[in-house]
Amino acid sequence: MSVVNILWRNIKWRFNNAFTIMITIVQPMLWLVLYSSVAGQSMQGMGIENYTAFILPGLIVLVSFSACSSGGIMNYLMKTGGSFYRVLIAPVHRSSIVLGQMLEAVLCTFLEVAIMCIVSLFFSVSIASGIAGFMLIILIVFMTAFFISGLTYTISLCLPNEVIYETVMNAIVLPIFFLSTALFPAENLSGGLAVAVHINPFTHVINALRSLFFDATIMIENILPVILLLMVMCCGSFALALWKLKREMRD
Amino acid sequence: MPVIQVQNLVKQYKNGAQALNGLNLTVESGEIFSLLGPNGAGKSTLINILTTYLRPTSGNAAILGKDLYREAAYIRSGIACAAQRTSIDTHLSLTENMMFQSRLYRIPTTEAKQRMKNLIDCFGLTRYLKYPVSSYSGGITRRLDIALNMMSNPKILFLDEPTTGMDIQSRMAMWNMLKKIRNKFGITVFLTTHYLEEADRLSDTICIMKEGREAIQGTPNALRSYLRQDMVKISFETKEAAKAAFEQLRGFHPLQSSDLRDNAIVTNSENRRKDLIKINRCLLEHDICFTGIEAMQPSLDDVFISLTEDTGKEGRV
Repeated sequence: MSVVNILWRNIKWRFNNAFTIMITIVQPMLWLVLYSSVAGQSMQGMGIENYTAFILPGLIVLVSFSACSSGGIMNYLMKTGGSFYRVLIAPVHRSSIVLGQMLEAVLCTFLEVAIMCIVSLFFSVSIASGIAGFMLIILIVFMTAFFISGLTYTISLCLPNEVIYETVMNAIVLPIFFLSTALFPAENLSGGLAVAVHINPFTHVINALRSLFFDATIMIENILPVILLLMVMCCGSFALALWKLKREMRD
Repeated sequence: MPVIQVQNLVKQYKNGAQALNGLNLTVESGEIFSLLGPNGAGKSTLINILTTYLRPTSGNAAILGKDLYREAAYIRSGIACAAQRTSIDTHLSLTENMMFQSRLYRIPTTEAKQRMKNLIDCFGLTRYLKYPVSSYSGGITRRLDIALNMMSNPKILFLDEPTTGMDIQSRMAMWNMLKKIRNKFGITVFLTTHYLEEADRLSDTICIMKEGREAIQGTPNALRSYLRQDMVKISFETKEAAKAAFEQLRGFHPLQSSDLRDNAIVTNSENRRKDLIKINRCLLEHDICFTGIEAMQPSLDDVFISLTEDTGKEGRV
């Protein structure tokens, strides 16, 4: 009940500040529309027929980072406004406070991912794996956004102000994005770069999403490990956010 | 029956700053308890601890008869706090803010709506219902902040400097509101302020804090000698002129307990009307050039000076 109450309050904030949705979706949308059109022609030589469909999974991860980062900003605004303190001294489970805020970021991510998927329909992007694949995509997007929102929640409680927070988030997101298979296949990479790309968990998330977009048959042996990995990451990120909130109150 | 009992409370922040230094105090049920102290005395830290937001470094505190650390969940349902910074969500309307608060405390919807109506009427907020919260003045925002904190029908309401920055009209409206909270709703009010007059007018008990601990605690009547002490201030053109006059007038009866402060001499007075005439006459007879003479009430600084002069006075009155 408290989760729903806090979620409701945060959704109201989001729709009152609708520009936060616009701002966070602009960059991934530019990648989707402009970059995929320009780079798509070069990629045809590499055997990638629909480059927009190829980069869409990477852009889904990118838009998750953007939407969830703005969820972290909410902590600063609520600290400035004072309602952060009012909620913390109310008889509400600390886990409900964290969960309510994380779920708002997840919902915002879904909204932005839906907009990107609708736009990508105009670039002939489809889900080859059908309804089952669609459901798995929803699950993976949910878990990815949940993990990232826990991370951004924790980081926002660690850093003193929103300017530093934005800088740090940019410094985290861009290396994760470029050191993954978001824009290029990893087959031709070698050395340290290949290792970096392979140890990046988002590489595996992107690959799983990509296989659901491109392959008619769902390779469960490829998807299941990613779901398990995300489950562990989600638990870790939620626990971290909860721990940080409790510490915030102790000090 | 005491609703707040604090014993030897210490709070040292991670950066080494010592905010509380062995504080003791007791708050009785149904009273307005004022905590007086200058900025940095530890008032807000104490409120943060008593509202379960911060943990103390050491010491004991019990609220509503329960241990503050072990039974924080129980305590949270019986308290509310309007912090120094108002905590209204400006993206929600007045009624949405109040209903959000009631859901935090699991008040059934029908009961919450009834309570909201009563509070809106009681605190004169009806005519602001149609305006967005972000357009409210500071005084109205503060009134709404207190009203929404009352939605949970708390047993103790903490107010951290509720009148700071308000004009006198808003301040008086706030005083009436606080009296109503105590008299009509029977809620214990724990108030921090740095206005002596406010504490004097409103409180059943006053505690004056100094350097993280209580300097003195008692009823306004018991603290009368500190809070309502008449004083006379003689101002001079320069610091040097004040010093010279101070030396010259030393020993003169009404100025026997006087103090030199920048370019003025300040003295306690038992009869300000008589003393004003006496001092004026003396200054003219001695041909001492001064720029002004006035009767005044003590500031918080004066009370602290008075307490510091005689450390033996510290404690309970």
